[in-house]
Amino acid sequence: MEANELKAMNIDSTVDARGTACPGPLLAAKKEIANITSGQVMEVLSADEATKRDIPKWASKKGHEYLGVVEEDGYFRIYLKKG
Amino acid sequence: MTMALFTGSVDKLCCAGVILSGAAADDMDVDIFVLLMGAHAFKKENVGDKGTMAELAHKEEEYRASLERLNVKPWMEFFKEAKEMTNVKIHICGLAGKIWGGEKLEDFNELADDICGIGEYITSAQEADVHLFI
Repeated sequence: MEANELKAMNIDSTVDARGTACPGPLLAAKKEIANITSGQVMEVLSADEATKRDIPKWASKKGHEYLGVVEEDGYFRIYLKKG
Repeated sequence: MTMALFTGSVDKLCCAGVILSGAAADDMDVDIFVLLMGAHAFKKENVGDKGTMAELAHKEEEYRASLERLNVKPWMEFFKEAKEMTNVKIHICGLAGKIWGGEKLEDFNELADDICGIGEYITSAQEADVHLFI
């Protein structure tokens, strides 16, 4: 999905993990996805470059849909749909 | 996953904690066998100990300052969090425990689940998909 489409989506949950380095954002995502239901959308905010690669791999293994990433000033917004 | 945790050094324990976090995010079952020097770090009286580094000891100040700046938790916190998230069992090697004056489970920190022998470690390593020695 394109950045404008991602940013226009309804977000059911946002995890702000910008204060942590790897593996913080991944663990934060794993914890928060347990709190939403199948089909809901979660946004993970991370200032860690590695999260951009980590989350899509983790999501596909766990049966969630990776929707895309938007680069902001100094951090990333990573979008997932719970499977 | 099976991990043989030989090290008692804070740098390697931090690394083990990060790997363990990845396994926890993946819902893996993990058995950690705490061997020789590791058992020293797991002794109850050493909880919160600043510890020493196994490598680049001359850069310790830089290393510790970076961990603080990056908000990296002390190694035990990684282990605690992983135990909350997935099935992690921490086994203390009986010989290692004795070397550091630990005879019973109560002599070790709250992360330790039991004291075991090397046969259990070998069996676990044989059965695991991923086996690490740190």
